[in-house]
Amino acid sequence: MIETYIQPFLNEWLEFFTSPQKRVYWLYMLTALFIGFTYLLYTKKSANIAFSKLFSKDNWWSKTAKADYKVLFLNSIIMLFVPKLLTKSVVAFGLFYTLTDWIPKNAMFQGIFEDWVVATLFTATLFIVDDFAKYWIHRWLHTIPFLWPYHRVHHSATALNFFTIFRTHPVEGVLFSIRTALAQGFVLGVFFFLFAEQVTLLMLLGANVFFFAFNILGSNLRHSPVAMPYPKWLERYLMSPAQHHIHHSKAVEHKDKNFGIVFSCWDRWFGGFCHSQANIELDYGVGNNLADKEHTLKKLYLSPFSDSYKLLKRTLKRKS
Amino acid sequence: MKKVLISSVVAGLLAISATAADTYGPFPVTVKGYEGKKENSVAYTGQIARQTLEKSLKKLATQGNGAANPELKAKMLAYYAGKDAGRAIIDPTTKGEFKIKQTKVDEISKGKNLKGKTYKGLINGFPGQMTGPEMVEFLIEKASASKGGYDPLTGYKYEQLISKFLMGGVAYSQAVDNYLDEKLEANKNPNNKAYKAGKHYTGKEHVWDEAFGYFGIPAHALTLTPKQVVAIAKKKDFKAADYNKDGIVDLKSEMTFGPAYYAAGFDAKSGTKYMTTITQAFIDGRKLITSAKGEKLTDSQRAQLKEYANVIKTNWEKVLAEAAFKYAGSVYKDLNVIKAIVDGASGDIRKAFKTYAKHWGEMKGFLMALQTGGKDLGATGVKLNRLSGFGPVLVTGGQVTGIDKDGNFEIGGDMTMERYMVEMVKLQKVLADEFALEAKQKDMTKKLASIIKTMGEAGHAEND
Repeated sequence: MIETYIQPFLNEWLEFFTSPQKRVYWLYMLTALFIGFTYLLYTKKSANIAFSKLFSKDNWWSKTAKADYKVLFLNSIIMLFVPKLLTKSVVAFGLFYTLTDWIPKNAMFQGIFEDWVVATLFTATLFIVDDFAKYWIHRWLHTIPFLWPYHRVHHSATALNFFTIFRTHPVEGVLFSIRTALAQGFVLGVFFFLFAEQVTLLMLLGANVFFFAFNILGSNLRHSPVAMPYPKWLERYLMSPAQHHIHHSKAVEHKDKNFGIVFSCWDRWFGGFCHSQANIELDYGVGNNLADKEHTLKKLYLSPFSDSYKLLKRTLKRKS
Repeated sequence: MKKVLISSVVAGLLAISATAADTYGPFPVTVKGYEGKKENSVAYTGQIARQTLEKSLKKLATQGNGAANPELKAKMLAYYAGKDAGRAIIDPTTKGEFKIKQTKVDEISKGKNLKGKTYKGLINGFPGQMTGPEMVEFLIEKASASKGGYDPLTGYKYEQLISKFLMGGVAYSQAVDNYLDEKLEANKNPNNKAYKAGKHYTGKEHVWDEAFGYFGIPAHALTLTPKQVVAIAKKKDFKAADYNKDGIVDLKSEMTFGPAYYAAGFDAKSGTKYMTTITQAFIDGRKLITSAKGEKLTDSQRAQLKEYANVIKTNWEKVLAEAAFKYAGSVYKDLNVIKAIVDGASGDIRKAFKTYAKHWGEMKGFLMALQTGGKDLGATGVKLNRLSGFGPVLVTGGQVTGIDKDGNFEIGGDMTMERYMVEMVKLQKVLADEFALEAKQKDMTKKLASIIKTMGEAGHAEND
């Protein structure tokens, strides 16, 4: 019992903060705080104001924040019992063997490029394809009616902090794991088929270098009290924290904007792009919700099922 | 008082741990009414004699000078099909301080040959529609006329094909399809009778011993590490081999041969438990038979014995599949080297091709061996044979496709090196999946698995 459930559970908890493969790795949070504070200091011109904004109780110890923590805790237990429907290993090996059936020419590009070129190409492709898949799943979660109730859980946060990323319904968790398996498994399978032994993942402290860079440069500000923009030209390519704050905004004009995670060009090319806006106060959350009710565990975990079912029924009825 | 108690407990524990590892024998004589003087009922000399015949034949297969050589052929046949007295053990022989007791096959057992025990079914993995003995004799003829056992035109390394096939075609086949199979039935070699009139072992005792002898493991293997068992086969660890400390290695009980060498090899390098599992099952089975004290085995005793037999069969089969898997990986790597040389990299292509041929012969030998256990591998067998083909792909493309009426190999087909490499990838997959392999040495997809492992499969419910 202890070995099967408690140990992995405790390990996972420890890993949250000690593994550079996790979004809330302590160093990522520290640099995000530092960048956020510097930005606030620069705009507010006062260390006091910057400090109180960065550590505002609304964001870190309010009903909505506590709901984030509860979901994080409960999910880490629930996800232990959710079977893995698809793994990147299954996808990667499956694709690799299928490709060798189709094209009997294994490792046809092996040795054509230097090792470092293949490694860079692979690591970057993995990161980009993964981000692209995230854009689409995210977009579908917003636009496909019966999926929205699950994603709504995340958007019901009325103030954002680093742990709001874990305010996620378990059904979404399952969808995300399938997405990761498909996207990463696809890249792994294709690259291994083409380059075989040359395929190497470039890593820094055990994480994909691009993932590391994205996170060390303040990715956690996306869910934080600090809506930091990037220069306009950069926001066309990379999603700034402020752009993601717009994604969380309740305002009608911000509906279905900025689905992208790392790259904002997906939104420009496929729809949803919006620049950050200076000097506007955003209201976070969903619709005309009664905020307090949104943060109960019942609402967070159970309502999505009934809401989704109702929406699915309605959609089917309309179609028939 | 307390001290005495503790020290005696400690001494007791030490004694237990010192005798904890089992050896295969000696086991007492249990035959009812036996009047001779023997005290140990273990006997598997015939099998050890055949182990030396196989190793000697392998050595002989490399002694050709490139022209038809009737003398060599006759000598090889003497080791394969003959039963003549006076045959010297060509391998293993004394090397430096690794002194070996026996120098003649007869000193181990008289009148033994390999042909009579070779798998008699059709060998589907090799051209010519031959039975096991027919194929071996055909290969012997080819080997005797080759230079050093190697034919660069076909890529055959005869000594590898012969020895690896016999590891299955004689040892594995006899053990798992004969001794550990029908001979465990109640009406065969019963335990309440001597194996033969006047013998000091019962029918079942001897049947079990014979299967053990074909595995080729030192009787004291469980007192050793797999690494030591491997070193004994290479004649590099005399101390480990000389269990009774008489200053000389007795091939009858202290040497490592073929199948056991591979089992121990995987355990040593990859942490599998093939050698220990098989050896322990043999010992446990023998203890069970001994415990019947010369009475007929009950149905439940035989059922238990069959369970041990199944453990042995499954693991032995895995060892052969692991070996084929490993050599398929070597073949793939060798082809990569050859391809690079063809594309202009520096290197001696003849040397590279010979290394490749050696690995191919080992792979093919094991693949054919795997199909001699009396078990219908069905579609798996077809895949193993088709993916490996009748011969290694040649640098210019093509491979052996058949044998003409004069016994010459025909070369043809449209196989290319690139395609053959893919066949090797698929072959490894079939082997790994069908036989649930664990060691998987030289796994061509290892890199992919290791990257996935670094990345981790776990994904927490993390939003965007």
